[in-house]
Amino acid sequence: MTGELTAALSAEYAAIFAYGPIGVHLTGAEQSAARAAEAAHRTLRDALVLALTGSGLPPAAAAYRLPEPVVDRAAALRVAISVEEKTAAVWRAALSATVDTQRRQALEALTGCAVRATRWRRFAKIDPITVAFPGKAPA
Amino acid sequence: MLAFGAALTVGAAGGCGLLDRTPDEPPPPDPLLPLADDAVRLAALHRSAAAELPERAAALTAIAEAHDAHAKELSRIMATPAPSPAASGSVAASTPTAEERIESLRVAEKAAYEAAVQACLRTPNHRAALVGSIAAARATHLEALK
Repeated sequence: MTGELTAALSAEYAAIFAYGPIGVHLTGAEQSAARAAEAAHRTLRDALVLALTGSGLPPAAAAYRLPEPVVDRAAALRVAISVEEKTAAVWRAALSATVDTQRRQALEALTGCAVRATRWRRFAKIDPITVAFPGKAPA
Repeated sequence: MLAFGAALTVGAAGGCGLLDRTPDEPPPPDPLLPLADDAVRLAALHRSAAAELPERAAALTAIAEAHDAHAKELSRIMATPAPSPAASGSVAASTPTAEERIESLRVAEKAAYEAAVQACLRTPNHRAALVGSIAAARATHLEALK
């Protein structure tokens, strides 16, 4: 179980890092959504740090590789979608390794990532804005 | 009724508990069967709405296709035939507005999402990723129906 949650913590660190440059290139409702998303990932990170204390926490890196340079609004939206999809995949994997309260937390995290990815696709005017199996790699 | 009566007779004669299953009794339904039935029903509801709301047809059809995919995957892991396509629902007394139609879909999706969450929390580990992904998908449908 610890391995999946450790992977989730690393993904949350990376998501928090990514929303810094993403937010810089957005305005209005999109910037508000970026702030809310970053806050959600910080909450998930904090919960994981508590859950994993004593199990060998992975440290946050100074920087994370983004899927592409965030140079404008369009790139910011693409990276935001990618961040949420990748983080959803990690939480989906955690479902099979958890029970009870930790499974509920993993499911809430997966659902949050999936809903945020949907909102980012709407902002980016990607059609359709939903996917059949959030967190699952495309076939 | 007949099956239960037969089980009662055999169980009593053999000295077994009243609720013991006989060899001929079918196994209990898979706990995920209601989830698959929901998926089939929701697919039909969204297809019906897509036919009546052309301005939202693309999004509603995408959601219907997601429910189709959920039903297919659930059927595969349950090793049972896919549930039959559902009727698209009863005929309303009056034609609902587009807003009412979307709101009724949201109500149906929300109930199905909550059922999927409970199923995910109860299901064995090897099924949890699929069932959780279906729950998350239903949550995104609520977002898409805004």
